Amino acid sequence: MFEAFAAIGRGTTRRFSALGGPARFAFEALAALPSLPGAGRRVAVRVLLNQLRFTALQAVPLVILLSGVLSFVVIQTTMQTFSGLNDFVGTVMVVTIVRLLGPLLTALAVIGRSGTAITAELATNTVMGEIRALEAIGIDPYHYLVLPRLAGSVLSVTVLIVLFDVVALTGGWLATSVNQASGGRYVANVLAALDTSDIVLTVVKGILFGAIIGLLPSYHGLKVSRGPTEIPQAVTRGTVASIGSIFVITAILMLLFRA
Amino acid sequence: MTSEPLPLAFEGIPLGLLPGAGRRGSDPNAVFSLEVRPHETVVVLGDETSGVDRLAALALGLDPAPAGRAMVWGTEIALLSRVRQLAFRRRVGYLPAGDGLLQNLSLRDNIRLPLRFGSDFQPDDIEGRVNVILAQLRLKAVAHFRPAAATEEERRRAALGRALAFDPELVILDQPFDGLGERVAAELLEVARGGDVAEGGHRTVFITGQDLPAKLRPRVERLIRLGAVPAGVHA
Repeated sequence: MFEAFAAIGRGTTRRFSALGGPARFAFEALAALPSLPGAGRRVAVRVLLNQLRFTALQAVPLVILLSGVLSFVVIQTTMQTFSGLNDFVGTVMVVTIVRLLGPLLTALAVIGRSGTAITAELATNTVMGEIRALEAIGIDPYHYLVLPRLAGSVLSVTVLIVLFDVVALTGGWLATSVNQASGGRYVANVLAALDTSDIVLTVVKGILFGAIIGLLPSYHGLKVSRGPTEIPQAVTRGTVASIGSIFVITAILMLLFRA
Repeated sequence: MTSEPLPLAFEGIPLGLLPGAGRRGSDPNAVFSLEVRPHETVVVLGDETSGVDRLAALALGLDPAPAGRAMVWGTEIALLSRVRQLAFRRRVGYLPAGDGLLQNLSLRDNIRLPLRFGSDFQPDDIEGRVNVILAQLRLKAVAHFRPAAATEEERRRAALGRALAFDPELVILDQPFDGLGERVAAELLEVARGGDVAEGGHRTVFITGQDLPAKLRPRVERLIRLGAVPAGVHA
């Protein structure tokens, strides 16, 4: 009996200590920010702009496609299932897309495109000895590699979530118009359903999801130690950890903001 | 009377206790001590079981010494705060084993990176310095190549160029001549030494590796072989 409790305790301790590594990494990354040298800032900004190009700009077509298809599916399902409730399509769009699916699907898309790439790139850098070489020539990998990716992810995810929501709501208006429902009533419903907390929550989710996508894949990429065979495993760990964290944060925010 | 600190000194480093020593079969009792004086070119050779491949990382404070001390200009870099470690390392030129070039940057950008990140030089001054290094290492024609598109010799030249970006007084070269011909190795050594002064080379050069081409030996002030003495290597 005692052994069984001990085994549960060991497993729990191991799981919680696994959270310690990423937490420490996040702390060290943020703590490194004030020591970024003036000259290094210019280089870091260039890396950041490059990251924005990959993470935000190149993801725009995918986000528009996902958003358009999702809004079409939601509206068709709502109108077919609840034929008498066509006037409430706008409310349904705000509840399902702006509050839940928009941020989640955007984050998943960015994890799939950029999170995996960040882990693979940093893991390769580590295996090739580039990280150690950077430290040896006096360049902090947090400054050159991690912080620009963190800032790039936060900005990109926030902007892409807003884009997702705008495209979905615009798509909803087009779909209601095509289905001979009142476009004006749709817009009125959307505006009535939206409140300040939706805007705050969108920004909060953008920052938190972006931070997760910037930090966890970087952490798992830089943690590689054994060799190239570990790179795919690192990508898997980074991806799974990012997806899991985003779902947990979604649930926590829902409890906090709707309480 | 105060004496100037030595560019590089190892005191009582137990090579057998370094990471991977058990796997390598190192003698656990072997300790390594060495003083490198200004303008000297010192080479430490040893096979992969000797621990020679760990000396550069110890000197730069990338790995902590399990016992003893590794000091650059009288300072144990490993004991400094992270910010001071990074700043201190900019005073030392380092060519890592392999080359350690960033694969997503061209050879030119690899050489330019430490100057752009760690100095307040104006962009024109940086370009001027990089152009001088590229010319000195005969890399101008391939400067726009990424490392993957360059030959091993070109990558090694670029890595040396990056190590010399700040024109350091001390240069640490980790297995710099592996896979290179004698002529190229001799040329790279001359560039690393930065010419001659009365006391030896313009720069102090510390080289580790498994072998040294015969043509280079006259240009080396001291050559030490690890593993020749079973326990207790003192130079």
